[in-house]
Amino acid sequence: MITLTNLGKVFRTELIETHALRDVNLQVNEGEFAALTGPSGSGKSTLLNILGTLESFDSGDYQLDGKSVKGLSDAALSKLRNEKIGFIFQSFNLIKDFSIYDNIELPLRYRGLNATVRKQRIERALELVGLHARRDYLPGQLSGGQQQRVAIARAIAGEPRILLADEPTGNLDSLMARQVMELLEQINRQGCTILMVTHDPDQARRAGRNIQIIDGQLHDSTMYDPLAQHTA
Amino acid sequence: MEQLFYYLKVSWFSIKRAPLPYMLTVLILSLGLGVFFSNATFYYRMNSDPLPDKSDKLFFPMMMLVPYQCSDCKAPPVLSYSNVAKLAASDIPSARAAMYSADGYLRQHAAQPPTPVTVRITQRDFFSMFDVPLLHGTIWPDNQARDELLLSKATAEKILGRTDVVGQQLLLDDRLFTIIGVLDDWQMLPKLYDAYNRQYLNPAEDIYLPLESGYDYNYLSNNNSSTYDDADYRKLATDGRTKAIHQLQYWVQLDTPAQQQAYRQFMANLVTDEKAAGRHPSPEANQLVMLRDIVRYFGGESADIKAFAIVTLLFLLVSVFNASHLSLNRYLSNQYEFSLRRALGANRSQLQMQLLVDMGLMSTFTLAGAAVIAYGCTKLMNSLWPANRLFASWDVQLMLALAVLTLFCSYLVTLYPSLRASFGSLNKQLKE
Ligand SMILES: Nc1ncnc2c1ncn2[C@@H]1O[C@H](COP(=O)(O)OP(=O)(O)O)[C@@H](O)[C@H]1O
Ligand SMILES: [Mg+2]
Repeated sequence: MITLTNLGKVFRTELIETHALRDVNLQVNEGEFAALTGPSGSGKSTLLNILGTLESFDSGDYQLDGKSVKGLSDAALSKLRNEKIGFIFQSFNLIKDFSIYDNIELPLRYRGLNATVRKQRIERALELVGLHARRDYLPGQLSGGQQQRVAIARAIAGEPRILLADEPTGNLDSLMARQVMELLEQINRQGCTILMVTHDPDQARRAGRNIQIIDGQLHDSTMYDPLAQHTA
Repeated sequence: MEQLFYYLKVSWFSIKRAPLPYMLTVLILSLGLGVFFSNATFYYRMNSDPLPDKSDKLFFPMMMLVPYQCSDCKAPPVLSYSNVAKLAASDIPSARAAMYSADGYLRQHAAQPPTPVTVRITQRDFFSMFDVPLLHGTIWPDNQARDELLLSKATAEKILGRTDVVGQQLLLDDRLFTIIGVLDDWQMLPKLYDAYNRQYLNPAEDIYLPLESGYDYNYLSNNNSSTYDDADYRKLATDGRTKAIHQLQYWVQLDTPAQQQAYRQFMANLVTDEKAAGRHPSPEANQLVMLRDIVRYFGGESADIKAFAIVTLLFLLVSVFNASHLSLNRYLSNQYEFSLRRALGANRSQLQMQLLVDMGLMSTFTLAGAAVIAYGCTKLMNSLWPANRLFASWDVQLMLALAVLTLFCSYLVTLYPSLRASFGSLNKQLKE
């Protein structure tokens, strides 16, 4: 469902040009759970942001479901982000003075769903992440792991087909990290494609596929083998 | 509708995050707008045209018809009775009225304490020329002397307690007059028929007497008058019509450019004839000034008020600039949330909508603040310059103008910051 061909990204400032990504070729199929690893500054976040259409690219092409995202209008890109893609960030990015419920509602708001449908979806997402009882809490009243689960609930409430997670467990201790990881695996089993940046070799191993980025270039991209995962 | 409430809620939360800078922004903007508005009201009223349909048809003739030699004098703003009579001989104007003002004391009967009143002593065309509305009764049928007066509505209510008083009698300086008419609410602002000496700032008079009666009963002018030779301005009843007592303002209505041209010629001929008759030695200095231009002609425009208006406009600009700076800070600190909303699928027009609602909320607060401050400023100005009180009144139109101005300023204040916010890079703050 994701196809990158010769994709390149350059950051230009007054002083320097940074080639954050060069000639990236990547194919991600529906239902995959892929881990993105690589040293800091190698371009992992940039790649994830491009996949999430938060960032533009300078060369090559990015096709989502067979259609190039190049030249799409802001409205079309926003719709695509809203409906097909869920984001999970390392620092959770919850709005601090909004309740858990309101935080999860945020993407649904911009989709124009009516209140009943929104409520159904939020409750289902809360149920899945096991925080139904905390719906009226503020993010600050939850632990880091719980906050990240709220962020996951927010990401999946819109029932996206792709989940992009940028070091989702980077700010968590190992117990919480494991819970989050298990949650992601559960979501993946329900059919959602997941791309996750991680530094944790264990997590990378648990993912069905490993993609390594060094200096903006893809290496060692273990090709996806559906049979291998199903038998594992 | 539900989405609107959501936008309002989002704005409200963002205000709650940093209430002080927000209040400061609103306060600064309210202050600029309030001060500007109270002053602009004043300036606007003072410079407004009270008779837009007629202000280019009513003319104030001035002539150098005085018995003394002056080669570079401006024509005086008043005329003698005999000069007015000569001017009135022309039938070029479609209406004409001579007038002056005086003071008197009015009461219903001798047992009542007298009330001081201002009196306009004039002729019948005055009422039609200046569109004076009549509530009850009629005006005088001609310009003869008669013991009949007209009252303003407020005066009727004050002295008699009601307005339907036609036919009743009143004591004006203990002479019995019959009320033949009561004016409806009327306040010509500015009162341009009496522009000399900045009299146009004053309210319209309380009662109206026929010119001939004013002379007969020796009502002396309380405004500009000048006398020549052996004339004594105090002997109006006996000498007023014959001697060189110059105290009459004279207005004529000239509807077409042709009439105006003809009237100028008539005035020029009159000066030539008078000169030939040896009644005045000075060269011609005729003036025929439009109602619209009369304040400017007399130099009655007040430079301090104009300067003040400009200062308050500058103050408003500075306020807008400061408020815009504060609001930019607010949006920059909200940038993170904007980016997050964008990342989660809000498109630009949804964000713009959010910002529009935000602006609407700010305008509402600012409008309330500006109205309070403008009210306070107006009160202050009224107590500093009580004479100008008439010009500080507000009406629906002015309030609407304030609302539009507030909206516009709030828009200016939020425009640039909101553009920055919605076109800023999406990912920077979310990446970490
Ligand atoms: N907005 C930006 N402007 C300039 N350079 C950037 C920007 N974002 C990332 N970079 C640069 O691009 C490279 C890749 O960054 P990033 O994708 O964040 O790396 P990673 O997530 O793998 O640590 C880095 O050298 C970084 O400094
Ligand atoms: Mg990163």
